[in-house]
Amino acid sequence: MYRKQVRRRRAVLALLVIGSFLLLTITYGQSSGGLQRGVSTVFSPLQGVADRALKPARDLVGWFDKTFEARGENSRLEDELIVARRKAVAGQEALQENAELRKLVKLNRGPALAESAYDPVAARVIARSPTVWHSTVTIDAGRGDGVRVDDPVISGDGLVGMIASAQGGSAQVTLITDHTSAVTAKVVPVGVQGVIKPEVGNPEDLVLDFIDSSKDVHRGQAVVTAGWCAQGLCSLFPPGLPIGEVTDASIIEQEASQQVHLRPYADIADLDLVQVLTGGSRGE
Amino acid sequence: MIVTPKIFARLAAIVVLAVLLQLSFFSRVGLLHTSADILPIVVISLGLLGGSMSGAVTGFSIGLLVDCLLVAPLGGSSLVLLGIGYLAGLFRERFEVQSALLPPLLCMGLTLVAEIGFAVVQVMLGIDAPVSTLIVRDMLLKSIFAFFLAWPIYYGLRRLLRPALVEESKLTRRRQPTVLGT
Repeated sequence: MYRKQVRRRRAVLALLVIGSFLLLTITYGQSSGGLQRGVSTVFSPLQGVADRALKPARDLVGWFDKTFEARGENSRLEDELIVARRKAVAGQEALQENAELRKLVKLNRGPALAESAYDPVAARVIARSPTVWHSTVTIDAGRGDGVRVDDPVISGDGLVGMIASAQGGSAQVTLITDHTSAVTAKVVPVGVQGVIKPEVGNPEDLVLDFIDSSKDVHRGQAVVTAGWCAQGLCSLFPPGLPIGEVTDASIIEQEASQQVHLRPYADIADLDLVQVLTGGSRGE
Repeated sequence: MIVTPKIFARLAAIVVLAVLLQLSFFSRVGLLHTSADILPIVVISLGLLGGSMSGAVTGFSIGLLVDCLLVAPLGGSSLVLLGIGYLAGLFRERFEVQSALLPPLLCMGLTLVAEIGFAVVQVMLGIDAPVSTLIVRDMLLKSIFAFFLAWPIYYGLRRLLRPALVEESKLTRRRQPTVLGT
């Protein structure tokens, strides 16, 4: 009797292990299957309710954590504010000069900016991946709101990620800190282009790889989406979306590995409200 | 564990509630630049309470549900969670869980095993980006959080599943008063 029980247990265990490997083999590298879409559709209202119900508790814990961190951040932000003020004044001057020059050469704005081709849809983050290996969030806007796979997602601070999968009332966003993410970007004002990859496990550090080492990139310079178009193919991201600020640009690393480090503008670890830029070219 | 339809319904509710709580609350609350993961704790607790089969089956179910909701490759989380659920159950079948400190300590150790397991599965599937050494800090912090969260989760689940637990029912039977002189 006992032996029979042990044998049955081992059979169930073997079945589960084989099942897991089979599922991994079948579903790896594929977009969301019917099972995943179905489960997401069923659970998205529940996730929405849970998100709203748990928000006060989340905010309370977040307040303690933020207060703890705020002391150290204060002096850094003060320094950043001084630099930002200088940049803002310089920017205002540049804008004024730009307007005057446009008048001089009688240029209109010409074709609409790439961003205006998009129809932003606001959404709330209702779930987040528990492991650092999959940096994804679920939002409460889906196909019913016009959200489609590959649409860019932004927050008030900058680029956040892109839609990986969309169901009726919810969608999954692959964040720029996910190991599968890659965004073509450029450093402004120098114009150096490269591909932004994350550093798995550190959401506050991104790597701008494959850059032209002949041009110097400096700490504090902004990085925005490149938004290229070539031979009928376009980048999934419109040009000029802010991504982050260069934090580490040592000459040695630039020349040896052709890469610099940056910190994303968007607070990837604490996303709440985002916008999905729907209706764009979607790479076509 | 004696699984009656009522207990099965309770187990299903625990699985769904744990996943919803994890995705909507614990994953989104940052503490020391990381977040707590209650799913391994729930699986380990169920393994310790119900044995290897309960641990393995709930681990597989929770993993499958999480992968479905996050549109991740199916099977990865299931494989890791069923492994730690089975290990926790095996421990309960071989040794006596007498000390109150043992379940939280086991949760801490097995959560670390689970985190390493997730990393191994990811390496197996391929990583397209450099990996930061901060990942080690993340794993250690998650297992420390598991130690503290294991107290309410393990004892809460034990209370919830008391009618189904073999040892608890034995104890209840033993506690019945003996009527003398009849």
